[in-house]
Amino acid sequence: MLGYIAQRLLIMIPTLLAISIIVFVIIQAPPGDYLSSYVAELQSQGESVDPQKIAFLRAQYGLDRPLFEQYFVWLTGMLQGDFGYSFEYNLPVTKVVGDRLWLTFIVSFTTILFVWVVSFPIGVYSATHQYSIGDYGLTFLGFIGLATPNFLLALVLLYVANSWFGVSVGGLMAEEYLDQPWSLAKVLSVFAHLWIPVIVIGAAGTAGMIRRLRANLLDELQKQYVVTGRAKGLPAGRLLIKYPLRMALNPFVSDIGNLLPHVVSGATITSIVLSLPTTGPMLLQALRSQDMYLAGSFLMFLATLTVFGVLLSDLLLALLDPRIRLHGGTTR
Amino acid sequence: MRRAIISSLALASLLLIGAAAAHAFDMQETPSLRARVAQGKLPRVAERAPEHPLIVDLAADGKRIGRPGGTLRILMAADKDTRLMVAYGYARLVVFNEKLQLVPDILESFDVEGDRVFTFHLREGMRWSDGEPLTSEDFRYYWEDVANNKQLSPYGLTRALLVEGEPPRVEYPDLYTVRYSWTKPNPHFLPLLAGATPLEIFMPGHYLKQFHAQYADADKLQKLAKAAKQRNWAALHAFKGHSYRNSNPELPSLEPWVLTTPPPAERLVFVRNPFYYRFDAQGHQLPYIDTVTMDIVDSKLIPLKTETGEADLQARYLRFDDYTFLRRGEKQHDYAVRLWRSGTGSQVALYPNLNVKDPVWRKLVRDVRFRRALSLAVNRHEINKVVYFGLGLEGNDTVLPESPLFKEEYKKRWATFDLKAANALLDEMGLTKRDDRNTRLLPDGRAMEIVVETSGSSTEQTDVLQLIRDTWAELGVRLFIKPSQLEIFRMRIFAGETVMAISSGLDDGIPVAEISPAELAPTEEDQLQWPKWGDYYETHGKTGEAVDLPEASELLALNKEWETAASHEERTRIWQRMLEINADQQFTIGIVAAVPQPVVVSNHLENVAEKGIYCWDPGAHFGIYKPDTFWFDNAPAETAAVKAAAP
Repeated sequence: MLGYIAQRLLIMIPTLLAISIIVFVIIQAPPGDYLSSYVAELQSQGESVDPQKIAFLRAQYGLDRPLFEQYFVWLTGMLQGDFGYSFEYNLPVTKVVGDRLWLTFIVSFTTILFVWVVSFPIGVYSATHQYSIGDYGLTFLGFIGLATPNFLLALVLLYVANSWFGVSVGGLMAEEYLDQPWSLAKVLSVFAHLWIPVIVIGAAGTAGMIRRLRANLLDELQKQYVVTGRAKGLPAGRLLIKYPLRMALNPFVSDIGNLLPHVVSGATITSIVLSLPTTGPMLLQALRSQDMYLAGSFLMFLATLTVFGVLLSDLLLALLDPRIRLHGGTTR
Repeated sequence: MRRAIISSLALASLLLIGAAAAHAFDMQETPSLRARVAQGKLPRVAERAPEHPLIVDLAADGKRIGRPGGTLRILMAADKDTRLMVAYGYARLVVFNEKLQLVPDILESFDVEGDRVFTFHLREGMRWSDGEPLTSEDFRYYWEDVANNKQLSPYGLTRALLVEGEPPRVEYPDLYTVRYSWTKPNPHFLPLLAGATPLEIFMPGHYLKQFHAQYADADKLQKLAKAAKQRNWAALHAFKGHSYRNSNPELPSLEPWVLTTPPPAERLVFVRNPFYYRFDAQGHQLPYIDTVTMDIVDSKLIPLKTETGEADLQARYLRFDDYTFLRRGEKQHDYAVRLWRSGTGSQVALYPNLNVKDPVWRKLVRDVRFRRALSLAVNRHEINKVVYFGLGLEGNDTVLPESPLFKEEYKKRWATFDLKAANALLDEMGLTKRDDRNTRLLPDGRAMEIVVETSGSSTEQTDVLQLIRDTWAELGVRLFIKPSQLEIFRMRIFAGETVMAISSGLDDGIPVAEISPAELAPTEEDQLQWPKWGDYYETHGKTGEAVDLPEASELLALNKEWETAASHEERTRIWQRMLEINADQQFTIGIVAAVPQPVVVSNHLENVAEKGIYCWDPGAHFGIYKPDTFWFDNAPAETAAVKAAAP
């Protein structure tokens, strides 16, 4: 087991290195750099830009150096915990990301909780009552959630929340709390705003999760051990929870690998529509303005989380299901 | 003539100050500051103000004396939009007033000799927002320790301070006098100082010296730079002292409201500058409004949030197509949508690229008959009706009627819809061959298909282009629309790959003769109709291409002539000749101008102009309308003061 973990950890090094090169090259691929897009933006609004100042900034930011040199400065910085400097915000990357990360955590965890709480019972119900009216009805609802584009749902809920409940548009709290310290009223305000992004982001995930659980459970329910259990007179509920449901849990666990980066990045499009102060909109803006260290470091962070998440879910799966072996079948 | 205006104005303001003093001008303490004054944390208002404060003549602008207090809420899309508070605050050495005359502002007065020698007189006792005095030392600091410092300005002086390569001589005869002199005239100097993005010629030296290698301990500086993740002290100094970017809450300022929240933040708060230099006639220190809060939300949500009453004053990120939507929320959320006029020469204009690479197209585009024909074949009236509800002003990309330089013919020449004349022009050029779809053929046999590139994030430009496409089809010219991202859009034009682009027209649609006409001549790479010529001019011939079209050369010569022109009459003559050439040559094809800009104003906000011009330079958007004189009629001024004074 330990040897396996060590091996996986070692493989991560070249993987992450390759990702870092791809990330850097792709961010730098469009013509120009941060300053040229900055100048383009200002001039398109009629503002004048002093070329001397831009030249000074370009030298200060190191944007006049060759690409590979910029890459190595970034890479060695990251290894020492220095994620570089955001040109857009004029701040070190860690400071820019810091506050947003917490709110992203809150939104994402609530969403995951929502997805699990809703999809788990529905999935079980649909599987055990296959082709019943309840199954069809809930499946229909789930597919609507899956099929509606998130941004559309976000806009509709935004309108409903504002015109029916008087909740301010967008953001995660009422505007009067923005610069206030945390208080009970502020927390309540956050909850009043939180349900919209949670439903919007969760809607699609819920449908997927219901279907997966239902399919897995249906597979298990047909198996002989279930029939045996039933024949031996086990109560229906106990039988279900003790045996087939445990088997059907695998998709939940293997999903953890994907959850980790998702928790940190948030749902970008929904966050933009809802103007959430999360990391998604920040990443998009950074990519658009070629704020390369902010975008690059953040993408690397996500990549690292994905790689670790996959490892974590693999280990958990092995724990949960003894049929899964860590080493391939070649040794036998 | 101009000097006469200025000196008479200076005299008038002196008289005003005299009159105020004679009437025992009583300064009143601002209610929200009384508590701090009582605790001794802040000097009394009379000690904070300069000896001769600027007394704003509200009645002259049709405004009323207000009540201090309240919070103004505005919405912006990015942290870097804090710079717009520098435009809205519009505290400058000299400013444009609403009639676009240059008047002293931070300066008590100034003298100009032949546009060569500028002597500035500072207000005695004027202070920065941290209470330190503003003196000629701050000008010296910028000039000697920043502008002429090899590390801080490795690329030399900013071009705006050079006249044909010659730097000014800067002198500081006493604490309150500064003099800039050149051997040749520099007519750009004062308008640049009054710009929305002002030319910087002074800095708070007392604060910035701690980041300057000449004054601070090298080790300590090294540590400071490292802590702020800056490469060296020069980068640290630039970061801390960037007054236009306005992102350092510690940086002393002269603006009416100063930043207190360090970005990034969702809400940036600006509070009143207790050492501000403008007063109303009753002795209230301006600004009336105590606090400005700037909420950062996505730009696409700004119209939506404005409609739900979350802004008290909003124009940025609102477009004309939001107008009907915004009107809907007026009653429920207690605001009014006013329509100001946009100050650009044309809301949308076509830019035939005279530097296009393709030799066949280049020859065509450079033929004035071709450009005239395209312009004649645009049905501006229809576009105005369909896209702008008929509220715009149809015609060329030229100055607006508000400008004293305006003439009807600049707007109308070659700009009336006349397909017959347009077709005749193209026939005359010998472009008579057509293909089976009735599209004319280029001399080399290709179909005459123009790809117009747009970077517009809204559908406005494509809507306009679709209407143009229909009428151009009758001319035998096919139009295709290609949207692209702003930066790529510009690069393709600069490289000569684009035949034609659509963008907004002249930045300054309401110039006076004293403003530089450079925008009308090939002087910048940024000009989409002749980027390579502009580049050539900007880099003194290092890159780009030399102008090889007589009319464009004449524009360049006229622009040069303007710089040395001695009189107002001569400048007017040069301006008018340049406008005439531009209208006649159709270097840009203007469509519709003066499209209304919706300005959402809370019903409780007073002194905001009913009709205004929304222009960046000159104008600084709200800047010339003096937002420091805006006030809330529901400001809880007196009660708040009593409460604050009670403990």
